Amino acid sequence: MFSVLRRLNFVSFLSTVALAACGTVAIYSAGHARERIFYDMWKDNLATVLFMLVLYFVLAFVDYRKILKWFSIPAYAGAIVLLALVLVFGREIYGGKRWLWFFQPSEISKLCIIALFAHVFGGWKGRRGFKAFLAAALLAGAPLVLIACEPDLGTALTLVPALAAMLLAAGVWRTGIVAIMAAAVFAALAVLGAVHEAEKPNADPVRREKILNALPLKKHQVKRVKTFLYPESDPLGDGYTLRQAKISIGCGGFSGKGIGKGEANRLKFLPPSVSMNDFIFCVWAEETGFVGSAALISLYAALALSGVWIALTAADLPGRLLALGFSVLVFAHAGINTAMSVGMLPITGLPLPLMSSGRTFLVTVLLGLGLVQSVSIHNKTKEKQ
Amino acid sequence: MRHDATMPGGVTCLAVAALMAAALLAIVVRLKEEQVNSAALHGFEMGRQSERLIQTAAARGRILDRNGVVLAENRLVPVIAFDALACQKKTWNETARAIREAIDGAASAIGRRSPVSDDDIRRHMKKALPRPMTVWRDVTPDEAARFFEHEKDLPGFVYLASFERRYPLGSLAAHAIGYVGRDRAHGLPGGEKFDYADFEMRGRSGLEYYYDSYLRGVPGEKTVRVDARGFARGEETLVEPKKGLDLVTSLDVSIQAAVERTLEGCKGACVVLDPETGEVLAMASAPGYDLSSFVPVLGKDLYRRLSEDPALPLLNRAVGGTYAPGSTFKPVTALAAISSGISPDFTFECEGVFSLPGMSIRCTRTWGHGEMSLAEAMRESCNPYFCRLGMDAGLDNVREAAFALGLGGPSGVDFPVDAAGVVPDGDWKMKRYSTQWFPGDLAQMSIGQGMLLVTPLQMARAVAAIGTGRLVVPVMRAGERGASAGTGFSGEALDAVRAAMRKSVENGTGRKGAEGVDAYVIGKTGTAEVGSLSNRRKNAWFIAYAVSRGGDRSVALAIVVENGESGGSTAAPKAGAILRSVFGTAKEAENV
Repeated sequence: MFSVLRRLNFVSFLSTVALAACGTVAIYSAGHARERIFYDMWKDNLATVLFMLVLYFVLAFVDYRKILKWFSIPAYAGAIVLLALVLVFGREIYGGKRWLWFFQPSEISKLCIIALFAHVFGGWKGRRGFKAFLAAALLAGAPLVLIACEPDLGTALTLVPALAAMLLAAGVWRTGIVAIMAAAVFAALAVLGAVHEAEKPNADPVRREKILNALPLKKHQVKRVKTFLYPESDPLGDGYTLRQAKISIGCGGFSGKGIGKGEANRLKFLPPSVSMNDFIFCVWAEETGFVGSAALISLYAALALSGVWIALTAADLPGRLLALGFSVLVFAHAGINTAMSVGMLPITGLPLPLMSSGRTFLVTVLLGLGLVQSVSIHNKTKEKQ
Repeated sequence: MRHDATMPGGVTCLAVAALMAAALLAIVVRLKEEQVNSAALHGFEMGRQSERLIQTAAARGRILDRNGVVLAENRLVPVIAFDALACQKKTWNETARAIREAIDGAASAIGRRSPVSDDDIRRHMKKALPRPMTVWRDVTPDEAARFFEHEKDLPGFVYLASFERRYPLGSLAAHAIGYVGRDRAHGLPGGEKFDYADFEMRGRSGLEYYYDSYLRGVPGEKTVRVDARGFARGEETLVEPKKGLDLVTSLDVSIQAAVERTLEGCKGACVVLDPETGEVLAMASAPGYDLSSFVPVLGKDLYRRLSEDPALPLLNRAVGGTYAPGSTFKPVTALAAISSGISPDFTFECEGVFSLPGMSIRCTRTWGHGEMSLAEAMRESCNPYFCRLGMDAGLDNVREAAFALGLGGPSGVDFPVDAAGVVPDGDWKMKRYSTQWFPGDLAQMSIGQGMLLVTPLQMARAVAAIGTGRLVVPVMRAGERGASAGTGFSGEALDAVRAAMRKSVENGTGRKGAEGVDAYVIGKTGTAEVGSLSNRRKNAWFIAYAVSRGGDRSVALAIVVENGESGGSTAAPKAGAILRSVFGTAKEAENV
């Protein structure tokens, strides 16, 4: 038992615990800016964390190979079913169907897809062939299309880099993957450029229409990109949130205003509907300042890089893929969310791992990190045998 | 590590790690830019948006009578208020408790329990946290002294001045002055931009209402910065409030007082006008109420009591009470007849009753007056004579004469209540009662009965027009001249009617209206029968136009007393008393 504990990756574990603690504090603070029923939200969060840490250790001590072997395929199938169900029976909130009963299937499905990829491409002899590439496209495509239908573009956006990294690591048709990723980056830049051109303050309206019609984007998506490029164009909608996010982060200063003393949060300049979820980083940054926000980013760096380290030192390819894929997923969430909060990326509805108050995602992240720990714990076991 | 060589993906892992590190570093760099380099700018922006805009109340202007006697003014109300910041605790509950304790502690120092309840404290914290909360109103000098003695031990408490309306003359001219209620800035145009506003007084009725924007002044603006929990942290005045203007009304307190004395104990109303300028010298309605009980606000209970009182004390009868004018309408009928071509010398044999098919109107003298001239008929207020006159003149002419004297429409006075009354015709009757117009209706109308309705203000204006020959718009501000226009009646017609009205006060029914008045008076009594057959009541009228002996001063007057005996015995003596107070008492009775 003791030797097993020694093989636990302590950087990963401690950064997980530290982040969950920071998250609880931030939810406490953000919750107190809202109605009374949100005052105790932090307790719910803490309870979930503590309960999930138990599961985290259970998963960590079970050999991930067994888990992948027994559970990855049913989990994936289950995820597909749930994703389909949510489109039919889901509750619609803020224009998206993401909720089924008390949870969001798209969050759980992230872990299921990564687990399946680790299982399939970790043990497939012919994975370098084109067939494998096609299989990857199909296996990833099915859930991604369902998720995009909700629509939950953010989830799709974070899953793609994770899967791409796994496929690259597994050696599945590298040229194709690289080409697709390059194309994606190019497409993103092209969209940015096109919107930038079309929405110039004194642009020709006919030209604007032409450019926007040529883009394969929905109206609200164009609007978000536009708000990102020209925040002053929408001072009451997204532009307001963006501006308040920037002000709240900025006015935190070097050392912050103290927990519970952030004006942007407490006076509800930061819309309370988002301050506990997608914009919780702003609450944290205002109240703890640069010291706190940089520390938080460092914790994410520690968490993601320790995950990559576990991948590097994994005993086998499935383990490596699992650790790498999930680390990239967590990193993508953290990076995109914080970058969005400081105005480096357009606003997308993405939770900040271990900080935001969404329970489904919290559960998903802690389960995933438990699996990653399992990879760490079970790498040297094999060496000894 | 043995597997590394054979296991793919090592390079990918390293590349991913490098990308992650680079991205997170970029974010940290950006964070440093925002939180360290631009912190001051963002802090400034946050400071600006955490300011609360407050509207401060301006002192309300006074209301004066034409000689400068104060009718309404502001009273300084010393207040001890509390700033919740001094009790800021971790939770709202603890803060509320701490405020309670602070207030109770201060109460023993000051020597008076505070009326502030726990609910008040919570409401204040929820709705107006950055503003001082009024704890004691009307602080006495002794209490103030004790407060300043202990001020150092009472952090958060401040001594402030607040204002409320004061009506030093109590019930005098209460209906004309009107009253105020509390108001918030949000009731004003542009008020939405304020987060908080001091209570302001807003006119609710009478002159306080009509001249509200004039009296009100311009509210000031100040900002207060609030912290993360909404407590105030320092304020800054942006715009000082500008005091409202004083309103000098046309009312004359001495005349008003005389009028109200005569109306004491009655239900009724009286208006006294300057017939040349249209200035309203007195406007009274009885029963009235004491305005002092309306401050700081008209309480719900008092309001209910007043509004449910069958005597209708809240009704301003002078401008809002519509009555049948009774015989005071007869001069109008006479003017209509003369204008329609009937000679002023027209005579008619009164047999005590005026009969039409299906109806008859009795005269005051059941056996008849006999042969009557206009002057005699006016003196005796002979009904058949004026029925005949009206019938001969025709409905259109009678109505035209009524309109020419300002009846049947609002007078245009600068006052919120200005009832139009009714000068009926066939269409009106059809609309109102769904029956056609009968000749008897005109006969009734000719003696001021039937469907005809007028206000005392209209009648005062009408008699002023008969006296001066010009119809003037009444005004409530001293020194104003109401717009006036000719009545369209010939001088001959007016003179004939004036002479007839002179007879009425010389030795006719209106004798008592001019008794002992040191002025030249013309007038007319009226006794309007109202109510159903089983509940007949009489409203007693008197209208008069009086010019001083020197001709330098004149007034027009209309008075109505509900449930009186007759115009001559109920209203005329009151009018006489009023006119005597205006012009003085004649030394010799024969001067009348």
